[in-house]
Amino acid sequence: MLKVFLEFLKTLWPEFYKHRKNVHLDSFFTFTNYQYLWFMSIFVLALTALSPIGIATLIYYQLIETSVDSDLNHRTKQLTTAAKSAVTFFMEERLNALTFTVNENGYEQLEDNTRLSEILKNLKLGFGGVTDLSVLDAEGNQVAYAGPFNLEGKNYKNQSWFEQSIKKMNYISEVFTGYRDVPHIIIAVRSAKTDGSFFILRATLDTERLMQTLSSYKTGDYADIFLVNHEGVLQTPAMHYGAIFTPTNLIFPTDSDETEVREITIKGKSIISGHSFISRDLTSTPFVLMVLKEKAGMLKFWQDMSFKFNWIMGAIVIVIIIVITFASTFMVNKLYHADKAKAETMMQMEQSQQLASIGQLAAGVAHEINNPLAVINQTAGYMKDLFTYKDQARNDDELAEYIDSILDAVDRCGTITRQLLGFVRQFDVKIKKVNLQKLIFQVLSFHKKEAEYRRIHVTVSIPEPFPELETDSSKLQQVLVNLINNAFQAVQEGSCLDIIATQTNPDAIELVIHDTGCGIPEENLKKIHEPFFSTKKNGSGTGLGLSITYGLVKKLGGRISVQSTEGVGTSFTIILPIKINEGRTA
Amino acid sequence: MKHIDILIIDDETKFADMLAKRIELRGCSTAVCYDGKSALGWVKENSDRVSLILLDLRLPDLYGTEVLIGIKKINPVIPVVILTGHGTEKDRKECESLGAYRFIHKPLNIDELMVIFEHIRETSAC
Repeated sequence: MLKVFLEFLKTLWPEFYKHRKNVHLDSFFTFTNYQYLWFMSIFVLALTALSPIGIATLIYYQLIETSVDSDLNHRTKQLTTAAKSAVTFFMEERLNALTFTVNENGYEQLEDNTRLSEILKNLKLGFGGVTDLSVLDAEGNQVAYAGPFNLEGKNYKNQSWFEQSIKKMNYISEVFTGYRDVPHIIIAVRSAKTDGSFFILRATLDTERLMQTLSSYKTGDYADIFLVNHEGVLQTPAMHYGAIFTPTNLIFPTDSDETEVREITIKGKSIISGHSFISRDLTSTPFVLMVLKEKAGMLKFWQDMSFKFNWIMGAIVIVIIIVITFASTFMVNKLYHADKAKAETMMQMEQSQQLASIGQLAAGVAHEINNPLAVINQTAGYMKDLFTYKDQARNDDELAEYIDSILDAVDRCGTITRQLLGFVRQFDVKIKKVNLQKLIFQVLSFHKKEAEYRRIHVTVSIPEPFPELETDSSKLQQVLVNLINNAFQAVQEGSCLDIIATQTNPDAIELVIHDTGCGIPEENLKKIHEPFFSTKKNGSGTGLGLSITYGLVKKLGGRISVQSTEGVGTSFTIILPIKINEGRTA
Repeated sequence: MKHIDILIIDDETKFADMLAKRIELRGCSTAVCYDGKSALGWVKENSDRVSLILLDLRLPDLYGTEVLIGIKKINPVIPVVILTGHGTEKDRKECESLGAYRFIHKPLNIDELMVIFEHIRETSAC
């Protein structure tokens, strides 16, 4: 199963990856390293396609971040200002109520505990958040008290809030615990007595109501609103800093009434911080209103969005890379095929040119050799004639034998020159209609006796009807003679020779000459079309047969190929056009 | 004047002489010319007493075909066998159209020549 899958994968693998090194063929390729070309194609295309996406994404992120930051700062500022107004109003409302009470009632009424209790009751009803009321004389003695704690007779002279209250007309304290051990704020109003001295009306505000007011402005889990004093000590509990009175490292660079927003880092978290001093000029308070917003939390929606966006971008990038890879593979493969076809054509052209130039050389050599050969032939012939026709040397058999060997050698040289000349002459084409079957049987008739004698089983398989070829009959005949001769020389006694012709398409036929002979060793397969290459022993072959055949087939507008396994057999396959195109022949 | 069986026209003197000797050994008379012009001159004078002309296609002064045309002008019935070391199919066709009797390649097999000669002699005798 795995093997089948691997085989399937191999078919998908591009052709250029399967390229087998062939030094001769490779020298004709335009591009040498297709794998590098493929890689570079993918790389350059991917870079070109993806960099605009990458740059656009970065710009998009930058813009979004800037606009989200700006929006967040703006909203923090708005919230801080709104909450500050609420707290300021909370303080002013109670301070004004106290001022009104002092002015309306005067010291005489206020030092009456019953009256003070009524006022406390009314204040609780009207504003809420007031825990108790007390009246203090200039010495800090508490002269009247209304409220839940038993604080009568206490002296506050040495307490800082009392000292502050004496100095100012009115006073709002920080949150502190005091005698009662509960966090509270003191609001004090100083007023003149009829005797010229002064007294102070003090109200205690519980922080609960204040915290409720602050909480009402809190939006979401990532925002926090609290109060600190000018030194940064918590006046209400804060999410990031803990309980009330915890000192923080918050510092405020400016001392203005304006709301300020900045970005700070708390425990590694990026936080947008807004602060505003609470009505410092109108009603001096020690409070700074703080709004903290965790940036990550506030950006969560946008981050979720960008996470989805990243997924989509990632998918797009993968699709682009896949498309680029497929397109590059397709293009490089096409290029490889075209280049290979070109290289093969150029190699064939080179072979043809080699053959042609060898042919010219051969013609010259043949011409020059033929005349001296004729002289040798006639001279040796004459010497032999002297034995035959004259008496003087009639009985010298040894000399006659030598002369015969000279004549044999001349015959062999004659064969070579004829073949060389035939090699040159193959460039002329004479077209006529040819019946391939007849031609094959005609050539085979020369070998009929030999086939019978050596028990070689010859079969000819040609389908009926078979098209008549319009080609050069004598050249085709020479091709057949050469190949069939070779086959007869290659086979042992009792072997087979099969000649199979088929029409492969409307314009071409295929002729296979297959023998079960000795086969051609792999190292010789590349050389068999080279002129003068021969493996026949004792110089019995000229080494021109197959190179001439190759040239002839090319001349007929065809192709010849050979498959051979040593010891098994050889198949020569010739593809020939049914109608030769003179202009196209090599 | 003596009858000449075969006139050999070939610029390769050694070849022509040796061939002549061999033919003579076989009982035939020969004459030899080494160039085209002298050959045509010889034929002009002896056209009625030669049986066969053996003509090389490549001669130093004239093309073999020119000599062939000349011979045929003098006497169209003399059989001319073309002997060539490198004749092409085109040459063969041309020579045949000009009236050559045969077209044979070097190296020459003398027995083949003698068969041709015998054939000519027999047909002319009839």
